[in-house]
Amino acid sequence: MSKNAKPNINQKIADLKDSMQWFYGDEFSLDQAADQYKKALGLAEEIQQDLTALKNQIDVIDKDFTKE
Amino acid sequence: MDVQFTVSEFLASCNQTLEYALGHVTVEGEVASFKINQGRWVFFDLKDEESSVNCFLPLFQLRAPLEDGMKVRVHAVPKVTKWGKFSLTVQQIMPVGEGSIKKSFELLKAKLEKEGLFDPATKRPLPEQPVNIGVISSTQAAGYADFIKIINERWGGLHIKVAHTGVQGLAAADQIIRAMRYFNERAEVQVIAIMRGGGSADDLAVFNDEALVRAIAASKIPVITGIGHEIDQSLADLAADFAASTPSNVAQILTHDRQAEITQIKQLLLSTKKYITERIKFVADQNHQAISDIKYQINQRLQKQQLDLEQTMQLLESFNPDQVLARGYAILTGQVKLGEIVKITTLNQTIQAEVKDVQKR
Repeated sequence: MSKNAKPNINQKIADLKDSMQWFYGDEFSLDQAADQYKKALGLAEEIQQDLTALKNQIDVIDKDFTKE
Repeated sequence: MDVQFTVSEFLASCNQTLEYALGHVTVEGEVASFKINQGRWVFFDLKDEESSVNCFLPLFQLRAPLEDGMKVRVHAVPKVTKWGKFSLTVQQIMPVGEGSIKKSFELLKAKLEKEGLFDPATKRPLPEQPVNIGVISSTQAAGYADFIKIINERWGGLHIKVAHTGVQGLAAADQIIRAMRYFNERAEVQVIAIMRGGGSADDLAVFNDEALVRAIAASKIPVITGIGHEIDQSLADLAADFAASTPSNVAQILTHDRQAEITQIKQLLLSTKKYITERIKFVADQNHQAISDIKYQINQRLQKQQLDLEQTMQLLESFNPDQVLARGYAILTGQVKLGEIVKITTLNQTIQAEVKDVQKR
């Protein structure tokens, strides 16, 4: 996937979980905690909206499998 | 007027008439006198209580093991051979009835197990949260509808490609095999799900077809099956990388539940918020403790200095002449010589006195 491609829902969830890990890691600092938390909260809200709104694309293949 | 034929013409005419009148036929009966000739040709009689008909097929078209006494359904073309013998040229055959299906199932299972087709070591893990899913099922089947309903409820953003095939009957196995080939040739999907809802042993027998089972085992793309109900087990299930219990269960295996995911994210945020609050409280407690320590140190120093000052003052006080005078002593100043005037200081008085006598002690 290119860097400019829009992340899909699974990538967003993985990103959120990664950003949550920051709070429990050695790099945690109180100075940055509020900003990091706001970012995570924003991402979480985006994921929630995506999860609620996303539809599946279902295509029935246009091929007759009764024939070879 | 009688039509005159050569023997060959007569048999050809018979076959033409048969083809015109019957075409392909489906006949059910019990297998008798089953034999394989030259490792290539299968012969048996199909019979019921009163009648019997010869059947013939090439060995490679035999898709399920046969034994005398098994009940089968054949899809065949009736023919009169050049020796004048009437027979059915079998194109498809499958066991019918619970007993025959079970017997055929056990025979084929033992054969394929021996070949390692069901070896757990060959099973591949299904992709985690696949986005591109290939489905092989009948779009008219209740099981397919269940799958679509559940997967739409559980997750979104998926690309599901559906190969509409039969899921029961003699022709279904080949259709499913073609759909398997279709997905494997294109390699667009991450997983193939083969599904059908519950049914009788006859309905589900297609999933014990040897060629289909081999196609599933050979698939380059991982295969999940959801065939019948929880109690049903087919050879297709055994050959698949994962056998879900039902089509709905396939949807559950392949996707996370969006509501559960939202709840988990909320809980994650909540626990992180709690953790941050605890970290802040910890730092605040540390600050309070530091301030308290500093206050204590300052107090300690102040107390010590206070004590030192008091001791110095006591010492200083001990040097005060009034302290000595208070004890009854006096201070004498001036020349202590006969006739000299000296000054005597007591606690409360200053006295001038003349020296009258001086003696050594």
